[in-house]
Amino acid sequence: MTEKEKRKSKTTEKVSPKQIADRIKNSAESMVKQIDKLEDPEFKTMQRGKSNVIWDEKKGFLELGEKEVTRSFLNIAHARKFMQTSMIMAKTREYLEHNKTASIREIYYELKHTVADTKENTFEGQVESDPIIVDLEHSVDTIREKLNLHANPKGTLYGDITLLDRMHHNDKFNASKLGRGGWSIMSRVEPEEIEIVDSSAEYLLVCETEAIYERLIEEGYPKENKCILIGIGGQAARGARRLIHRIHNELDLPTIVFTDGDPYGWYIYSVVKQGSMALAAHSEFMSVPEARYVGMTMDDIEEYKLEAVTERMSDGDIKRAKEMLAYPWFQNKEWQAQLKKALDKKVRIEQQALANKRLDFVATHYLPEKIKNKNFLP
Amino acid sequence: MSEDKKIKITSDTKPVAGAVDNLEKEFKEHSVAEFFKKNKQMIGLYGKVRTLTMVIHEYVTNSLDACEETGILPNIDVKIDELGDEYYEVTVTDNGPGITIENVGKAFGKLLAGTKFHRLMQSRGQQGIGASGCTMLSQMTTGKASKIITGKEGKKAIALELVIDPRMNEPKISNVKEIEKDFRGTSVQAKFKGCLYRDSDQGALEYLKRTAIANPHAQISFRDPMGQKTVFKRTHNTLPQRPAEIKPHPKGTTVDDVLTYCKSTKGRTVASFLTNDFDRMGAKGIEEIKKRVHFDLNKDPKLLTWEEAEEIVKAFKAISFIAPSTDALRPIGEEQIRKSLQSIVQPEFLTVLTRKPTVYAGGYPFQVEIAIAYGGGSGRKVGDQTSMDIMRFANRVPLLFDNGNCALTKAIQTIDWKRYDIKDPSTAPVTVFVNFISVHIPYTGAGKQAIADEEEVLEEIRLALMQTGRKAGIYIAHKRRESENQQKRLMFYKYIPEVCKALSTITKANEENLKKKMEKMVLEKLKIDEQKEEEDRKKTEKTLANDDNSFITKPKPEKEENKKKLKK
Repeated sequence: MTEKEKRKSKTTEKVSPKQIADRIKNSAESMVKQIDKLEDPEFKTMQRGKSNVIWDEKKGFLELGEKEVTRSFLNIAHARKFMQTSMIMAKTREYLEHNKTASIREIYYELKHTVADTKENTFEGQVESDPIIVDLEHSVDTIREKLNLHANPKGTLYGDITLLDRMHHNDKFNASKLGRGGWSIMSRVEPEEIEIVDSSAEYLLVCETEAIYERLIEEGYPKENKCILIGIGGQAARGARRLIHRIHNELDLPTIVFTDGDPYGWYIYSVVKQGSMALAAHSEFMSVPEARYVGMTMDDIEEYKLEAVTERMSDGDIKRAKEMLAYPWFQNKEWQAQLKKALDKKVRIEQQALANKRLDFVATHYLPEKIKNKNFLP
Repeated sequence: MSEDKKIKITSDTKPVAGAVDNLEKEFKEHSVAEFFKKNKQMIGLYGKVRTLTMVIHEYVTNSLDACEETGILPNIDVKIDELGDEYYEVTVTDNGPGITIENVGKAFGKLLAGTKFHRLMQSRGQQGIGASGCTMLSQMTTGKASKIITGKEGKKAIALELVIDPRMNEPKISNVKEIEKDFRGTSVQAKFKGCLYRDSDQGALEYLKRTAIANPHAQISFRDPMGQKTVFKRTHNTLPQRPAEIKPHPKGTTVDDVLTYCKSTKGRTVASFLTNDFDRMGAKGIEEIKKRVHFDLNKDPKLLTWEEAEEIVKAFKAISFIAPSTDALRPIGEEQIRKSLQSIVQPEFLTVLTRKPTVYAGGYPFQVEIAIAYGGGSGRKVGDQTSMDIMRFANRVPLLFDNGNCALTKAIQTIDWKRYDIKDPSTAPVTVFVNFISVHIPYTGAGKQAIADEEEVLEEIRLALMQTGRKAGIYIAHKRRESENQQKRLMFYKYIPEVCKALSTITKANEENLKKKMEKMVLEKLKIDEQKEEEDRKKTEKTLANDDNSFITKPKPEKEENKKKLKK
């Protein structure tokens, strides 16, 4: 099996926590063997970051390349990370054996203490432990969720979709019957835990801001327009992205994304659609290359006469827009035009700016019209 | 004390003394001493700390000169007692030749301002204000006389008290007593008010320390007002050769110089005056000058006018002369500097360089001596902080003041020390020693504490600094690598317990066993590094051992201790 094929199986393969625990044990045992022979113990993982991320145009998402990195103890630049890796290995194995799950912040706090006889902490902040967790995911060929680790949950689900929670009394529930807030998306939504039972919806609408999510529910939009609504609250969390991917594929529903009209919002769309550089390895099971973008766009400003409610782009927005112009997955005429227009006018337009027309304008006019006319960006 | 010198000066400069007399006729009240009394800052006696240091400088310089001129290895004893608020008594005793009662007054009681040295010779001081200036200052601030005890070989010592009559610039001696004690040398004791003793960079202790460094043939002891005693031992048992007198070189001569020299020449024509009284002046030079001046060179030189002298100097500038003789320069010497720095600073590494003599401003020969010391007692220590210490000397005399204005400091500041592995001079345990030697030191002011930044001087010092800097850099880089390896060891060791705990939790391998193995593994890895380090050390030592000017003093076996700590 090549590295890539192995990775493909990570999410879909049926591995028990015991098997993952054994992989960690094997890795530790090979280190012990090396130490026994007075050899420098090693830890292998995939190289991450821009230099090992590949844009696969055919598949339509970002992938992790094949570059491997080896971390060894007797390397001045690696020694501390090596220590941290061994600690994370021991702790996750403990979780797996005792059937416990923890947030990535919890494991950080569990392992943080002063290194004996020094003024140094084992971890100086979650910024040090988070990357080690990703290293371990790659090293033992699995995903975080299967290490019994999860990020803080973020994102909500509303609409006519029935789910089954296998981890909680096999509760079966419809996301339109849980009150106005909908269902809080777990950080782990793997099929073994959450089963998608059925839905009558005709499409999935992903919404950047929770405020617009609430507005649409208040206006009865999902029922009226037969859609499932997911609020992602800014950049989409792992659980939300995985659920969007599953609903799109398992229910075969078109996915439409609605964000603020600025580089940050557009980047959120691209992450839902094509995946992120940080999690390039998992794109295949999280991205939705067929997703379409409904708004906000630079053209909406003229179309809906929103000139008075635009805001100035920040320096950060401008910098991000310039970077995005160069990303391979933004190389199509529609998005180049949007970015250039934004850089030219130096303005941004928020979803909520539509309230300038009327509070319900977004639900009664904007979305229904644009979706009906398939007025989308790719 | 150096009465011979003083006598020589007065006799040498009779015409000038005459000029002073003329001046005195015009401004009757304004004797030299009176003038000095009103302008004491002109000779550097200002600032409370500085005053005390300068007083000691004047006495110690006189003692050193007196001993050297008579072939005696100097032993100088300095004491400062605090008598009250900003009130001190200074006692300086030497083992010099002693002074006859006839000459005591000249040495301690007559100011010689207005005389101009006709002779060009490397000397500690170029003006003779020295000890007499101190006598003057003492009586001005306290109203007290200076007490002097002096004894010559085989004669009874005498004690006396001395003041200066400021109007007449004449010494007044009183209370002369013979002492029934065997004593050869001179001891002067004087009281000063309005000054301050501080154990600082500009204090007497630092001054004496540096004086001892630049004069390894002298033994200097010091007792501060708190009773703390310090002895700077003699490290070299031979007296430095006396500097020779040389004639002025045409290129370094000013109009005023020509007019001064021509008054005392034995030459009866301007041509013979120029030939006799100037260095490197031959028939060919005279020919060239003849072509460029508009008066007859057979003229009586004593009748030269300012305009004519100007023409001569202009001609000097236009004509090329052989560079001046550098025979008159007397450097301290590399070996001597090494011995004294090793004894007083006790550095871990030391490199010394005496450059060949060269010439500045076209006419003045000069020479530069540099030493760079690293580690041990090197550097300027304030609290926990150590920074680069700059020790400036002019003809062996420490320059403690006007640091920023000095060409020696400027040259040091323009060096890119990073190239010599000194990342930041403000945190480096480094002492830079610079001795500037010349028959004429181009001081920036009357305080004589800073050297003017003549281009040739700056460049010569920079060259010397770079030459020595390279050697110091080799050693410092080696030390840095050594300490980096040290840190590496500590770093690996500190992470071992956590790694072993984690791995043993996962695999059930024995934690203690793992720890031992990992420590052994680190040691083996470091052994390879240590071998490299050892090779590196040998290479460094070899490079520097082949260099006669560089010296490594093995540092204390601190390394072993750390190793033990690690093994724990």
